[in-house]
Amino acid sequence: MTFGELLERFEREIFAYVLRLSGNRLDADDLYQETFFAAFRSWPPPRAGNERAWLYRIATNKAIDRARRSRRVVPLADLRLAAPERDGVSLMDLRTAVRALPTGQRAAFVLRKVEGHSYAEVAEVLGCSEEAARSRVAEAMKKLKEAVR
Amino acid sequence: MTIEPLVSEARERLIARAKREGLVSVGYDVMDSPLGPLWIAVGPRGVLAIHYGAKPDPRDLARISRAYGPAVLPDRRSCDRVLTELDQYFAHRRRSFDLDVDLTPLTPFQRRVLAATALVPYGELTTYRQVARRAGNEQASRAAGGAIGSNPIPIVVPCHRVVASDGSLGGYSGGLPAKRRLLALERGEGQVPAGGWPPSQR
Repeated sequence: MTFGELLERFEREIFAYVLRLSGNRLDADDLYQETFFAAFRSWPPPRAGNERAWLYRIATNKAIDRARRSRRVVPLADLRLAAPERDGVSLMDLRTAVRALPTGQRAAFVLRKVEGHSYAEVAEVLGCSEEAARSRVAEAMKKLKEAVR
Repeated sequence: MTIEPLVSEARERLIARAKREGLVSVGYDVMDSPLGPLWIAVGPRGVLAIHYGAKPDPRDLARISRAYGPAVLPDRRSCDRVLTELDQYFAHRRRSFDLDVDLTPLTPFQRRVLAATALVPYGELTTYRQVARRAGNEQASRAAGGAIGSNPIPIVVPCHRVVASDGSLGGYSGGLPAKRRLLALERGEGQVPAGGWPPSQR
């Protein structure tokens, strides 16, 4: 496989993934660049036929690094204080709440609940056990439910 | 909103940076030609492949990445000149190509056969045997036919001008209708006579 084939096959879904993780297009563009550059530099993929999971793993790690560097994660308590009293929950509320999740949980939530990956795939991307992946998703769900309650 | 424009902007930025950092060795693009889509690859020493179809031939990719590594990336700019010259050719505004071709990943015999093929003038025909003779071995017309049949750079290396000794068209990687259309284009004719034209004796 050449790098061009890898790019053409996976760039769209990786971009969509980092857009969901970061919540804005500028960060998504940067994460896309960082992901494919890192893939390029560490070429070849560790296992033939497993390039997709490899890219997701790189993208997830890049998103986590970035979140750590920028420290822009909003504590859940702040979010709830800032949220006005309301009856319904808008998509914006949910989006804000997703962005407030720690990146590891956010990645697990997006991979499982938004993109529909299996827990085995989530575990592979995040480099953890399937059980840990389940617990991250469950934790994320719990926080989201609390945040938009 | 679709994310396509965002992805294509991101890709442009990625390719530009990869080129700045010297990471791109081969660029490719797909041309929409009168004969259908053509997949075109250009490396540091010239044109590496022109393939009939929107997707690359796996054999071309294997040969290219063997010679130049995996840094084969979609990049219209690398292919600009080839696209322009092919456009001019299809519009009857160009009779020969002013392009370097890169035949390095091929065997010396294949290279000699394709170099001989490249000398057949616009609008003329030759035979597999004549090409074999020009490549230095008249007895090897079958082998020459094999090398011509696997020409990675059709149109620019005009293997469509090589026909069988009896004047029948022989084969073509883009299919015989494409071969007929190229020959008709070069003769300024709409149609190729039934049974083809007799090969020139040059």
